[in-house]
Amino acid sequence: MAENATARETLFALREQIARMEGKPLPGLAAAKQADAAADPEAQKSRNNQPRLPFGIAPLDAALDGGLPFDGLTEIRSMLMLDAGAASGFVLALAAYLKAMETSEAPVLWVGDVVSRQEAGAPYAVGLRQFGLDPHEILYASPRRLDDALWLAETAVASGALSATILEIRGNPRHFGLTESRRLGLRAKAAGRPLFLLRHAGEEEASSAFFRFLVKPARASGRRLPDGSMLGGSIGHPVFQLTLEKSRNPAPLSFFLEWNPRGRQFSLDRETGETSSFRNPSTHPGAGLPASADRQDRSPVLGPVVANERAS
Amino acid sequence: MFPKIDVMDEDGEADQVLLEAIADWCDRYTPLVALDGREGLLLDITGCVHLFGGEEALLRDILKRLFHMGFDVKGAISSSPGLSWAACRFGRGGVIDDETMKEVLAPLPVNALRIDDAMTVSLHKLGLKRVGDLFPMPRAPLARRFGTQLLLRLDQALGANEEAISPRRPIAALSAERRLAEPIQAEEHILQLTGQIATSLRPGLESRGIGGRVFELVLFRIDGRVFRIAAGASQPLRDPERISSLFSERLNAAHDDLDAGFGFELLRLNVLQHDTFGTAQGDFIGDGESEIALADFVDRVSARLGADCLQFAELRQSHMPERARVFVPAMTAGSAQKKGDEDLAFAPRSDRPLRLFHHPEPIDAFAATVPDGPPQRFRWRRIVHRVVRAEGPERISPEWWIDPKEAEERDYFRLESDAGRRFWIFREGHYDGKTAPSWRVHGIFA
Repeated sequence: MAENATARETLFALREQIARMEGKPLPGLAAAKQADAAADPEAQKSRNNQPRLPFGIAPLDAALDGGLPFDGLTEIRSMLMLDAGAASGFVLALAAYLKAMETSEAPVLWVGDVVSRQEAGAPYAVGLRQFGLDPHEILYASPRRLDDALWLAETAVASGALSATILEIRGNPRHFGLTESRRLGLRAKAAGRPLFLLRHAGEEEASSAFFRFLVKPARASGRRLPDGSMLGGSIGHPVFQLTLEKSRNPAPLSFFLEWNPRGRQFSLDRETGETSSFRNPSTHPGAGLPASADRQDRSPVLGPVVANERAS
Repeated sequence: MFPKIDVMDEDGEADQVLLEAIADWCDRYTPLVALDGREGLLLDITGCVHLFGGEEALLRDILKRLFHMGFDVKGAISSSPGLSWAACRFGRGGVIDDETMKEVLAPLPVNALRIDDAMTVSLHKLGLKRVGDLFPMPRAPLARRFGTQLLLRLDQALGANEEAISPRRPIAALSAERRLAEPIQAEEHILQLTGQIATSLRPGLESRGIGGRVFELVLFRIDGRVFRIAAGASQPLRDPERISSLFSERLNAAHDDLDAGFGFELLRLNVLQHDTFGTAQGDFIGDGESEIALADFVDRVSARLGADCLQFAELRQSHMPERARVFVPAMTAGSAQKKGDEDLAFAPRSDRPLRLFHHPEPIDAFAATVPDGPPQRFRWRRIVHRVVRAEGPERISPEWWIDPKEAEERDYFRLESDAGRRFWIFREGHYDGKTAPSWRVHGIFA
C-alpha cells in the first residue's frame, strides 16, 4: 500500500514536470482553479489571460482554445506544391489579420525558401497590398540554406521586433525535425511573438506546433454586388478549405474560411463539419500527385494516431 | 662565377601583392600609406610621431620590425616626399632635419630628383651631375632649357612646393585602436576588446553629433598579416554594445577566413561612413525601443547573411507587373520608407496575384475562345487544369520606352480551376492566322 502511494507520488511529480515544460496548467491545480472560476469568473478570465489571436468565429475559436497562440508555433501545411497559392494565401491572410488587430508598426518577416520561390513564385507586393498587407508591413528574406533560414527565424522571433515571422519550407527536410521546431517554439514562447510555419507539400510530422492546419484550395466566392447578390461567374474573395489536424480536440475539424482583404476579416464560408476525411484520400487523386522525393511513400498508420513519426 | 646563386624569374604580380601586404601592415603607423612605384612606400606620419616616441624611434621601429620579417629596407624621414625618396635610394636615409635638407640633397646625383632619363642625360652633357650643381643656376634659363618639370621636382624635394601623397585607402572619419602586449586569439576576447575600443570612440562621435554607419575592424596579426572586417548598420550607431554585436555576427560568418594564427597584437576600429545621429524623439508615447529592436535585428542579419538578404519591396509606377515593384535592401530602406510614398505608386484597378513568377512559364492552352477569350483547359507542368471561371481580358501593352520593338501586348486572365486553384495567365500575341500566340502563367492567387 505504501509502495503504491510512493509510486503515485512519483507519477504526479512527473506529470507536473511535464505540464510545466509544456506550459500547461498543472493538473493538480486545475480542480482548484475551476472552483475559483465558479466563484469569480471575471478574475479567472484576467488571470488566465494568455495572449491569443481570436478569429471572431465561435466554433473555430472554441476549437483553438480562444484563438491562435501569440507565443508559439502554428504550422500550416499543404499536400501539394500546386496548392502553394492557397497555403501562402492563408498564412499571409493570418499575418494581415494580425496586423489589423495590432497597432504596432513592426513588420511581418517572410523567410522564403529558394526552391518554393522558383516553383510557386515570389510574394508579389502589388498583389499583397490588395490582399491586406502594405509594402512597408512585410520584410522579405531569402536565405540560401536551410540552416540560415532557421537561424534567421530564430533570431527574428527572439528579437521581438517583428509582429510575426513566417518560415516557408518545402517538404519535410531532414534538418528540420522535432528538436528544431521545439527550439523555435521555445524562442517564440519567450518573446511572445507568433511564428507561422508554412510547409509546402509536406507530411504530418511530430512538431512543437500548438496547432496544425492543412490547407486545400477551394472555389472562391463571387463578387458581391451592392444589393447583396453575387455576380455570376466572377472570382471574388479567396476561400480556403482548412482542416485543423492538430489541436487539443481529437477530432479534426474541417471548414471553409473566406478572407475579406478589404475588411481584413475572416468569415465562415460554408457549413462547418467534416467534409472529406483527410486521412482517407480519394482513390484516384488524379494527375495532381507530387513527384516522389528522395523517399518512398509512407504506409498509412493503422488505428488511432498517438504521435507522428519523423517524416524526413 | 657564383655557383650557389639561385636564379628566378621576376613575378611582378606577386611583388605587388607583397608590397600591398607590407603597406597594410604599415597601417599601424599611420592611416595615410601610399604605394610609391613598385618598390617603395610613402607614409605620411604627420601627427603620429609622438605615439612612437619621436621620429628616430619610429624609423628604428619600422626598420627593425621589417628586418625581422626578412626584408632589407632603407628608410628616411623628411618634410618632403621627394627628399625622402631621394635619401632612401641615393643617400643614407635616416631622419633629415629641415635645416639640413640642402646639405643632404646637394651631393646626390641629379636622377635623385625623380626626372626621366632623357633629362638626366642632357643635364649630364652640360656637366650638371649632382643636385648641388643646380642650386646656384639661375632658374629662368633652367626652365627654358629643360621645362618646368625639373624646377618642380627640385622645389618638391626642398619642400618649397607642396606635394600630396594619395593614400591607398579612404581615410576613416574616426578611428581608435588598442595595442596589446600579449596577442589575443579567442573570438570573445576580440569582441570584448572591440566593445572597449568602441567606448573610446563614443566621445568623438558625440562631439561631432554623428553616429557610424559603416565600421571597419582591422586586426593586425602578430606575423604581419592584416585582416579587415567591415560591418554596416541600418541606423547611425554610437552604442558600444551594439557596435560590438555587429561584429559578433560578422566574425561568426567570417570564421573560416579569419585565421588567428599566433594571435592579434593590434586592433583598430575605423568609422568609414557616418551620418547625423538622430536625437529627435519620434513620438510622445513611444520610447523608440521597437524601432531600435528592428534596426538591431536588420543589422545582425545583414552582418551575417549579407545586406541583400533582408529586403523591403517598393512599388513603382509601371503597368508591367514585373516592373511594378522592386526590392531594396532593408539596410538602406529602413527608416526612409514612409507610408506616404506608397500612395504615389500606381495602383492597378484589377486584382493582382499573390505570388508572381520571375519568368512567366509557358502553358498549353486548349479551346481558347477566339479571338480574345480565356482557354477552357490548360496544361501547366504536365497537369491539365479545367477552367470553370474566368475574368478578363486585361490588356497590358509593353512599355515602348523600355521594351524592344518586337514585344507584344499581353491579355491577362484570372482563371479558377475546378479544384479551386486560381491562376493569372496571359496570352502574348493575337489569333491572327499567321503565328500562334503564346500562353503563359505569370502568377498564382490565394
